Amino acid sequence: MSEPLLTLDQLAIGYDGHVVLSGISLVISRGSFTALLGANGTGKSTLLKTILGLQPAVAGRIELHAAPGRALIFGYVPQATQFDPLYPLTGFDVALMGAYGRVGPGRWPGRGERDFVRDCLQATGAAGFADRKFSQLSGGQKQRVLIARALAARPDILVLDEPTAGVDVKATRVLLEFITQIHQERSLTVLLVTHDLPLVRKHAQRILWLHDGRALHGTVAELFTPERMAEIFEVEAG
Amino acid sequence: METLKEILAPDFLLRNSVYTSVLVGFACPLVGVFLVLRRLVFMGVALPQVSSTGVAVALSLPVWLHLGAAPHGSNGQTGHLLALAGSTLFTLLAILSLAFMERRGRGLPEGRLGTVYVVATAASILLLSKNRVAEAGWLDLLKGEIITISDFDLKLTAIALALVLCVLGWFHKEILFVSFDRSMAATLGKKVVFWDAALYLLIGLTVSIAVLSVGPLIAFGFLLIPALTAHLFSRTMRQFVIGASLLGGLTSFLGFWLAYSADLPVGPTDVVLLGAVYLICGVLNRVLIGWKSVQRL
Repeated sequence: MSEPLLTLDQLAIGYDGHVVLSGISLVISRGSFTALLGANGTGKSTLLKTILGLQPAVAGRIELHAAPGRALIFGYVPQATQFDPLYPLTGFDVALMGAYGRVGPGRWPGRGERDFVRDCLQATGAAGFADRKFSQLSGGQKQRVLIARALAARPDILVLDEPTAGVDVKATRVLLEFITQIHQERSLTVLLVTHDLPLVRKHAQRILWLHDGRALHGTVAELFTPERMAEIFEVEAG
Repeated sequence: METLKEILAPDFLLRNSVYTSVLVGFACPLVGVFLVLRRLVFMGVALPQVSSTGVAVALSLPVWLHLGAAPHGSNGQTGHLLALAGSTLFTLLAILSLAFMERRGRGLPEGRLGTVYVVATAASILLLSKNRVAEAGWLDLLKGEIITISDFDLKLTAIALALVLCVLGWFHKEILFVSFDRSMAATLGKKVVFWDAALYLLIGLTVSIAVLSVGPLIAFGFLLIPALTAHLFSRTMRQFVIGASLLGGLTSFLGFWLAYSADLPVGPTDVVLLGAVYLICGVLNRVLIGWKSVQRL
């Protein structure tokens, strides 16, 4: 069994004490590609926020297996549509924020950090439009900049929240191919939130499927069976 | 031109008013930029009013305590410090309460700000209706009369605004990061609540000083209009911040020159001038966008 990076142990998630989902147990291994699936309102975003430490768990615990002496670093890629277009920031400015975690208050990223961010933009194919205003980029271009920003954080795990939302079909395919590529090349752990089943089938190794107040966990082969699909979509198998 | 030479002369009688006006013009847009980016424009309206209520309470305190009226303006440092304390306390309490309610995400933010604005105005009038001496000082503030500024007032304004400038410049990266993407900042270990509080304290301090020096009308004008104008043409944060600040400082000086030449009240002249610049820049921006679209065809 590969080395665990993140363990969810009997986790219950929700808001203001109200439980949305409970009994979530899962081990995310280092270097794995896990998809978090579920329809709208099943608790995907709540679970993601809880894993990222943005909101407390109602019960249970999350264990982060970081290297000794350092915290686990999340490379968080939010939905590109959530950003306010009022901010006059270039793609490079946004990507540079990934390096801010290593730069103390009152200090600015040095030349080395800036060069590294440029490398990340190059790796995600975003170097060509990094000097353009972020708010004026297309959905796919924004996602590439945001992935570059997440990579600039030198993450242990890349967490992507519906990265293909608001992105056209062709750009979605390219984006997912790219995420798979960096996952394989850098042995980077990936946690991808989506509701796109064909993409999950093609790219993910393991799935956490939130459905009807339950969290189903397994490999693609285990969960994408006719019986499971019929149960989830409430139709008869056959 | 003669008037300009007169204003720039070192022995100009109202030089403190010019300096204060320009200082406020430069400093207010620096925090105003974040009010615009965080879509807290209405807070920019309500806070100066709350701040002036703080001044009203502070000016009324000596009367309530039977100590006699606290002189406002050039004659009384005690009065000025008292007014500053009232202004700062009320502004900080208001901004922190409003920010807390905003974070809880319940109710209607515009409704809260509107209520705060109107209640603060009414409370100020009620408070001062019973205090004739303090009322005179407060009415000067309300009208934007910035002709009686002592050396002490000027120094206090300069020190406070320099502090705001230093903190904002030093920690610009953190404040911008937390404003733009709170979640990412939190996942990278940034103390988002601390930086939010720091920004609100800076806004509160700037508003208090500006209201006390030039009144709520000009404070509001300089908080928002230069930032809105500079935003039309800015591609980067650096352009946005520097552009807004320069525009504020320059307009305040031009406004003073215009008001002095035409014997007009300085505050309203500044604000009308800012409005005119915003309108012209808005039209110019639309023309530029249209022209670029035509060129692309």
